[in-house]
Amino acid sequence: MISQKKSRRGNDDGPAPSSSTSGSFDQLYRDHIDIMYRFAYRLCGEAEAAKDLVQETFLNAYRGYDRFRGDAQVSTWLYAIASHACLRMRRKRKGEPDRELSLEEFVPTSEGEFALQIPMEGLSPQEALENKELRQILDRAIAKLPRKYRMVLVLRDMEGLSAKEVGGILGLNERAIKSRLHRARLFVRKELSGKGLAGELNRSVHTRLE
Amino acid sequence: MADRVRTYPGTRKPTPHQGHGKRNCVKVLERLSAYLDDELSGDICREIRTHLGDCPNCEVFLDSLRHTVQLCQHRPSPSLSAKDRAALRREILKGAASV
Repeated sequence: MISQKKSRRGNDDGPAPSSSTSGSFDQLYRDHIDIMYRFAYRLCGEAEAAKDLVQETFLNAYRGYDRFRGDAQVSTWLYAIASHACLRMRRKRKGEPDRELSLEEFVPTSEGEFALQIPMEGLSPQEALENKELRQILDRAIAKLPRKYRMVLVLRDMEGLSAKEVGGILGLNERAIKSRLHRARLFVRKELSGKGLAGELNRSVHTRLE
Repeated sequence: MADRVRTYPGTRKPTPHQGHGKRNCVKVLERLSAYLDDELSGDICREIRTHLGDCPNCEVFLDSLRHTVQLCQHRPSPSLSAKDRAALRREILKGAASV
């Protein structure tokens, strides 16, 4: 069984600054910038977009600080601001609708699809992730997820929040979060299986030729 | 002689779905995240374990999903340099002052 790993949110959730002065903003920024950058990087997949998202998040936090009543943890509040900013920014850039993932598309139809086709045998996840190619394949799989599924996967499995917390951040009930999480995991799993990697191989050949 | 079944390193030999039927496999697949996250009742867990014991394909599939989740959980993420941290702070304060 996978035990929900300990949240890596760090030294957050202390007493909130009392007003939106630049001094209290500095405190907020100092305590949460690393967490928010990590989250933004995981959502965006690259540094420049992650910095834009962090900037937008803290700017919105700065402006809205007076309205923050402390009934949620500061980090949860920032996660919510960042998630909504991410949705807005992406909508502005692309405007493509999110694809719905159905369970049927993840039912294996041939033998090569059951197991992962990546070197993990006898390795811990940390050791396996020392392989750069594996990290790239994993990152690409996560980046390919439709964003509403990616957000749930990042918040649950990478940031280590509970389904209830993620529901609060995205304004959805726990059932919806669990359903999206399951589809997101199945999607990434498929990308790491024989079928997913066959496409990935074609892609890397094309990339090398470019 | 029966057709040889391809096997993959570290996996059990896949066999075709037998008497328990493919529909059960799909039913199990629907619940695998909840199973991994320990969210199911004892009865349902037992049902799933019985199926897994009887269906190597589903067991291989469960392992692959478990590994996928573990990889996501342990994927490190880059951190900001001190210079970028300070530059971003300046940008944010500039943005806040301009409103």
